[in-house]
Amino acid sequence: MSPTVPPMHAEFDPCVNIPSLADLRAAVRDNDWARTEAYFDFLDDESDRAIASGLFHDLGSSERFLERAVAENPGSPLARTLLAVRYVYVGWDIRSSYRAEHVSRDQFQEFHAWLRRAEGLLIDVCAEYPTYALAWAARLNTARGLELGGSEVRRRYERLAEHHPHHIYAQTSLLQQLCPKWGGSWEEAFEFARGCLRSAPAGSPAGRLVAEAHLERWLDDSGDNHSTYLRSAEVRDEIMAAADASVKHPDYRPGFHWVGDHNDFAGALSLGGHHREAAPFFRTLGDRATESPWGYAGDKRVQFLKHRKTALSKG
Amino acid sequence: MTQESQTTQAPPVTPEARIPGATAPGPAPAAPPVGIREAEVDGIRTVLAAGSGPVTAGLFFRVGVADETLATTGITHLVEHLALHRHGLSDLHYNGATSATYTLFHVTGTPAEVTTYLNGVCAALRDLPLERLETEREILRTESAGRSRGPNHQLPLWRYGAQGYGLGSYTEHGPWHLTADAVRDWARTRFTRDNAVLWITSDTVPEGLDLTLPSGPPHPLPAPVSILPVTPAYIRGDSGGVVVDGIVRRSSAATLFAEVLSRALFVDLRQKGGYSYVADADYSPRDNDFAAITAYADALPQKQDAVVGGLIDTLARLRAGSIEQSELDAARAKYLKQYDTPDLAAAQLPSYALNLLTGHRNLTPDEQRAELAAVTLDDLREVAREMHSSALLQVPGRGADWAGFTEAPQWSPEAPPAPGTRHPSLEGDSTVLTVSPDAVTLTTPSGQVVVRYDACAALLVHPDGGHHLTGLDGFQIRVEPTLYKGLTPARTAVIGASVPPAAVIHMPPRAPDRIPRPDGGGTPRRLRSEPVGPARKALIWLAGLATALWALIATVATSQELDAPEPDPATIVIIWLLIAAPLGAFLGLRRKRG
Repeated sequence: MSPTVPPMHAEFDPCVNIPSLADLRAAVRDNDWARTEAYFDFLDDESDRAIASGLFHDLGSSERFLERAVAENPGSPLARTLLAVRYVYVGWDIRSSYRAEHVSRDQFQEFHAWLRRAEGLLIDVCAEYPTYALAWAARLNTARGLELGGSEVRRRYERLAEHHPHHIYAQTSLLQQLCPKWGGSWEEAFEFARGCLRSAPAGSPAGRLVAEAHLERWLDDSGDNHSTYLRSAEVRDEIMAAADASVKHPDYRPGFHWVGDHNDFAGALSLGGHHREAAPFFRTLGDRATESPWGYAGDKRVQFLKHRKTALSKG
Repeated sequence: MTQESQTTQAPPVTPEARIPGATAPGPAPAAPPVGIREAEVDGIRTVLAAGSGPVTAGLFFRVGVADETLATTGITHLVEHLALHRHGLSDLHYNGATSATYTLFHVTGTPAEVTTYLNGVCAALRDLPLERLETEREILRTESAGRSRGPNHQLPLWRYGAQGYGLGSYTEHGPWHLTADAVRDWARTRFTRDNAVLWITSDTVPEGLDLTLPSGPPHPLPAPVSILPVTPAYIRGDSGGVVVDGIVRRSSAATLFAEVLSRALFVDLRQKGGYSYVADADYSPRDNDFAAITAYADALPQKQDAVVGGLIDTLARLRAGSIEQSELDAARAKYLKQYDTPDLAAAQLPSYALNLLTGHRNLTPDEQRAELAAVTLDDLREVAREMHSSALLQVPGRGADWAGFTEAPQWSPEAPPAPGTRHPSLEGDSTVLTVSPDAVTLTTPSGQVVVRYDACAALLVHPDGGHHLTGLDGFQIRVEPTLYKGLTPARTAVIGASVPPAAVIHMPPRAPDRIPRPDGGGTPRRLRSEPVGPARKALIWLAGLATALWALIATVATSQELDAPEPDPATIVIIWLLIAAPLGAFLGLRRKRG
């Protein structure tokens, strides 16, 4: 008996796309700190650990489990960091349940209060364990939410990169800050994306930063009508070259970031009309989709499916 | 560690910096340094220790800015100026300095020159050239208007208010009104032989000294009064840098901590990120029990957020105890090295004398070294925690609540305004001034400021009717008849008559364009030209005395006389770092004149 999979399916659940994460989710739902800790201890890639911590976004009320874990393991940097990560998500959900212009002053204060609680935990963890990447990566998000300024976000990234120079999760986070929407500039954003790729070992996921920078630029230009920015051959060529140096390179190792890597390339090429070039990325992905970049173009599911269909029919 | 070494107050320095003309230091002497001998000259406790080269002598008095009131700020400085006036222009290396808790007259030269200088100072103190008073008042007003101030100059005001140790934040009010009688009385009661200690880098007292001074009781150090309800606290400051201080028990561990902090800031903020050019920390005894540790980092506007974050993280790291043994060892080695000077006893003389003056214990060099050697990483962490728990941080731009600091009070405590006459603002911003029998209250939509007459540190009365009150807690209210409805001379007279007479200062007429008018005419009532929201008003009132607009009230002598023309920024910081350190004042002055 074969499983019945709908012919047009897009899967956004990280625990399906990265099956290992289901073990973590189960451990948290069981309120099992020992298994949770063992899961993170097993991961030796810092980007994987950061991406795994992202699971707490959808684990409602897990802050209570983590608060207990902190109380029972007061010295554990992991427990405090995950609790902080969860607080950030709680805060961000309060903020983003409304569009920015409708966020009331009270909601903003509540949002910032959660972020300050998170930041307090993270200041201590980073003070006690100055090379603890998971906490520094989380502090990129608290700094952005608390609006601590571009130079401060950059400083935090540099403290992390000092010991973990190719942390793709942190790099995508900083790239957001470097875009004009958060007070940066396109020069800074592209310089950073290209610089990360240049200095990374062959086959690193850093190529996706180039695709992301172009996507951000396109989004900024779009307004109501989708711009033609991504259509240019020059942009296409740079994205393809970045893919060649990263996900298409023989040394590429698909960590937890791989689904995001391929969605970025598929999106940057498809949204520029380069359907044939996007096709290989969709074939690798199958149904595995991520919110970004498809949510940028409209309904994420509709966009993913539409562009995949077009790409697969052409390439 | 409970007792600090001498080095905490006055690190011994190399002979060439200490004594002009001295030969380069030779190998450390095998024998312990020659000790310090105590003597008495005309009833003044005196300490002697031979040094090489010319003789340096200093006469300390236990009186400083923290002994004054806001209304009399500058009175010690005036006495110091008057005492030195007769020396005029001379090639001699001499100067005077007024700090928070002491005044120092010092000189370097031949024994005969030292005698001439000290005799002259004491003769002048016995009989001040008060015919010079008007001129010196003018000089002080001008001098302070052009003085560069350290980046930490606002912190004392926010911690202590307009009293005691907070007065160093303020421009000098005394030069506007102090009478000859008041100045003479201050000299007679504070510049006495029982309130002084003399030190001379010689094994004998120079011949011909006549230091006759009136007798009078020694004055204990003023007791500190903190007005910060919650710490760690923060205030907002201008862009350009971040500064923080904390109050810790005096100890060798605290001394070494400041050095470790200084190096850590340099590494984290300058070497690693290039966020700052200057990043430094300093340890300065405040009184016999406590010291202030101050950390400062400058910042370009585009880097200042990173400087705030970096400084907070560096402090957090030290507090968490993430300190390498090598960091402690490097700091300790620097201090221990200073004991290798052949003129150790002479180099330690100023701090020895200062301890004698304030009643603080003096340790032998061996005891000091033993204390330094005993400091552990745990001791440093304890100091870091103590500093944090009492910290006051000044940050540019956004606040520091995200890092667990509480904003220092921007308004007086909530209370219904006392009954009195209500005077709505003529600027249509729903601000109301209430003049009551015992206080003035300024009520705004965001909060209120109250200055009680019996807790008024100074009241400036302008002939045009302007009454500017500063409370002991540092809050200010400017009562301007041109800006509030119904503020008749009869109403403002209530204020003048109710404030203690010693706090009232009658000012000369203001230029017409400096009398405020509603909505922008004349001098802006707010102390900055950019639009200011209500939330920042009280802050600016508090900070106001330091701003250029109040230049007519002259900037104060925090502690030393900066008579060099426009020192470069690095020098300013060096001078700032040296300010409260006893020998520091001495060296700073030497650097300028020598």
